[in-house]
Amino acid sequence: MTGMPAPEPSRGWSADSLPWLLAGLMGVSTLALVAGPGWSSLPARVLLLLGFIALAAHLLRGKGRQFFNGPVAYLAAGSLLLLVVLALFASEIAPQNPYDLRQLDIMDGRLPPGSTTFDGAMTYRLGTDEQGRDILSGILYGLRVSLSVAIVATLVAMAIGIVVGIYAAWAGGRTEAILMRLVDLQLSFPSILVALMLMAAFGRGLDKVVIALIIVQWAYYARTVRGTALSEARKEYIDAARGLGLPVRRIIFRHLLPNCIPPLLVISTVQIANTIVLESSLSFLGVGVPITRPSLGLLIANGYDYMLSGQYWMSMYPGVALLAIVASINLVGDRLRDTLNPRLRR
Amino acid sequence: MTLRYLRLTAFAVAAALPALPAVAQELRIGLASEPSSADPHFHNLGPNNQLRRNVFESLVGTDEQQKLFPQLAVSWRPLDDTRWEFKLREGVTFSDGSTFDAYDVIYSVCRIPGVPDSPSLFTTYTKAVTDFEVPDPMTLIVHTASPYPLLPTEFSTWGIISAKANGVDGPSIAFSPDGCGDLAYPETQAFNDGSAAIGTGPFLLESFRRGEGVELVRNPGYWGEAAPWERVSMKPLTSDGPRVAALFAGDVDFIENPPLQDLDRIRGEAGLQVVQGISNRVIYLHMDHKQEPSPMITGTDGKNPLKDVRVREALSIAINRDAIVDRIMGGVAVAAGELLPAGMFGAHEDGQMPPAPYDPDRAKALLAEAGYPDGFGITIGTPNDRYINDAQVAQAVAQMWARIGIPTEIDAVTASTFFSRRNAYEFSVYLAGWGAGTGEMSSPIKALVATRDSDRGYGGTNRGQYSNPEVDDLLTRALATVDDAARQELLREASRVAMADWAILPLHFEVTPWAMTDKVMYAPRVDQYTLPASIKPAG
Repeated sequence: MTGMPAPEPSRGWSADSLPWLLAGLMGVSTLALVAGPGWSSLPARVLLLLGFIALAAHLLRGKGRQFFNGPVAYLAAGSLLLLVVLALFASEIAPQNPYDLRQLDIMDGRLPPGSTTFDGAMTYRLGTDEQGRDILSGILYGLRVSLSVAIVATLVAMAIGIVVGIYAAWAGGRTEAILMRLVDLQLSFPSILVALMLMAAFGRGLDKVVIALIIVQWAYYARTVRGTALSEARKEYIDAARGLGLPVRRIIFRHLLPNCIPPLLVISTVQIANTIVLESSLSFLGVGVPITRPSLGLLIANGYDYMLSGQYWMSMYPGVALLAIVASINLVGDRLRDTLNPRLRR
Repeated sequence: MTLRYLRLTAFAVAAALPALPAVAQELRIGLASEPSSADPHFHNLGPNNQLRRNVFESLVGTDEQQKLFPQLAVSWRPLDDTRWEFKLREGVTFSDGSTFDAYDVIYSVCRIPGVPDSPSLFTTYTKAVTDFEVPDPMTLIVHTASPYPLLPTEFSTWGIISAKANGVDGPSIAFSPDGCGDLAYPETQAFNDGSAAIGTGPFLLESFRRGEGVELVRNPGYWGEAAPWERVSMKPLTSDGPRVAALFAGDVDFIENPPLQDLDRIRGEAGLQVVQGISNRVIYLHMDHKQEPSPMITGTDGKNPLKDVRVREALSIAINRDAIVDRIMGGVAVAAGELLPAGMFGAHEDGQMPPAPYDPDRAKALLAEAGYPDGFGITIGTPNDRYINDAQVAQAVAQMWARIGIPTEIDAVTASTFFSRRNAYEFSVYLAGWGAGTGEMSSPIKALVATRDSDRGYGGTNRGQYSNPEVDDLLTRALATVDDAARQELLREASRVAMADWAILPLHFEVTPWAMTDKVMYAPRVDQYTLPASIKPAG
């Protein structure tokens, strides 16, 4: 504890609450886009992109130099931004809507990269899969599915984790023991196994994937929040707030919670990457998204059978896209952790 | 590096040379699925039945086309409506030296209903028998309760074990359909360890180990043409990749079911070849003919459009079956116009029942005429791990239906989930397959389109709940007609009636591929079995 800068007590809805507002806004608009107008609303998507950039800018306010400490950081941040833009505006960029079965033609199935349609109207730059789905369009739309599923699942899991973690830390005693043993129980099962079982019970569907991912992830956040809250609650500023006779609600929401955020932000960036991988694994194993609306994992699975017969493009390009998104999120998350975590500050 | 490799190769060749004649007598097979037991009566399952045919024979054999031929019976004929006479083959001995006679057949039928812990009994194929008569040891008369034309076919499905080898005195067996008193039977384990594996077949069972494989050796005392192989080893290689890799590496000479996407690669490899033949399994779409509203149909105000024959026709002719065969099945399938491939019993001759012609414009017109000019939403239920490329086929159909204005979703789940949901009538349209076990049209008609009736065993898999008294009547008459020509005509008529009503939409017949070195030959079988006695050395 010694040598650490004392955390500033929060002063209500200040700048510290902004990331929460922005994150909440992004979650809500992602949810609305997924469930409501089905990505057709352009303003909503522009708003989402602006929110994303504003959140990033806010997190890095005054720490830009620290974050961008080398070419890797620029590369990771740049490719993440590019992939997010591609995913958000897939319907404008992609030459084909791979989810509209009327636009697919199995007679164009398994064409190598660079082939054209029969009438020459469009070029399959990355080839087609066996249903005649343009791989490039499939990747763009698949990115959107993977990212939105991961973001929504992560935000909801984080919200649940925060509630459970703070409550456990504040309540203590038997309540805390029960909740934390529940968390231990949950974390003792491999998440892919639990998710597989849940999906087997639920059936296929985007909403079901999100629910399964939330169920397997909330425990990570609950444990982290409880740990942070316990150590924060012992600090002087909380004692001061108590001494002032502030109501419990106010202490939790205005003082304790905002100071538990930084570690959560770091976890959640890494966790989004994990969630993308988990969703891809589920889809690859045939229990994730519906087969007519493939995500990256399902695209890889579709082409997997043809890998040995030399038709590499069906699996390889979606695989590269998956690798790019996961790697750039992880790198950005690493940089964020180094930048935001005061313990690592040199 | 290269030099060392060359030296090694030279050494290996030199070492192998003296052994070549012996190698040529051995056949190594990579199995796609493993038998669960060597007991011929334990489990009515493809891989088990395939293994059984090497060691144990039946009265009636079935050839590549599932046509019957004399095996342990030299001839059979109906004496009257309820009695069949089988003349048995003289001079056949079991591998322990005991001679084969009619009592061994009765003993086998006695054992079949009582095999302990059997997951699936063969009683389906013996329950028609009400009594046996043995005028002399080489003649067997079988009694049935009602006219039963399928008796010889059903007698081709189970193997015959020896009564004497198991210490049972044949003439003392008192047969009754409910059991034959206190007879001694070998245990399933005794077949697996080989001690009870005493049959009349072309091979003897040397060893059977779950997970490791089956070793067979030639039966020196076989009554028929001796098997071309001194020794056959059958190794279970259930994953596609390793099975193909084993063939490429020369670890096996012959594999079952090479995956479709690897066929071109195998054909292109010097020294390897692919043999393929049509199977008796039809892949079909079944439609909900009963429920109203039908599950997962949208935009019809609760009406079930599938009850309208025009809608069913539209759905059928909107499907480009040739494109599915060509693109999804890689050419390894045959577009279907009825439920059994041409040339099989009760199916039409080639060209008489062609697949429904692809005509999307007429399909749209039919939909408009039926009152659905704007179409309706529908979901196809399909397993995604049961039939060759099942979910991809469903997806291709969805594409084609979307083009005529029927937005189609796919509900693809693992087979066990699919079948339980299908049996609970959760699908309006589902994709499934049916293999005609008996090799004749009565099998798919009875299972898939006859009105559901558990007493008669009709419509067991008719989960679209189709019902047409005309089809039922034709089927009932066919099943009671012993005269083959008349029965065939009745079955064809039943098939025509069902197809004209678009009761069910056949898509294609699966084609079974086998891959092997060019040193052997195999005639493809409709029943998909791999029988080493029929694998011949080439040239």
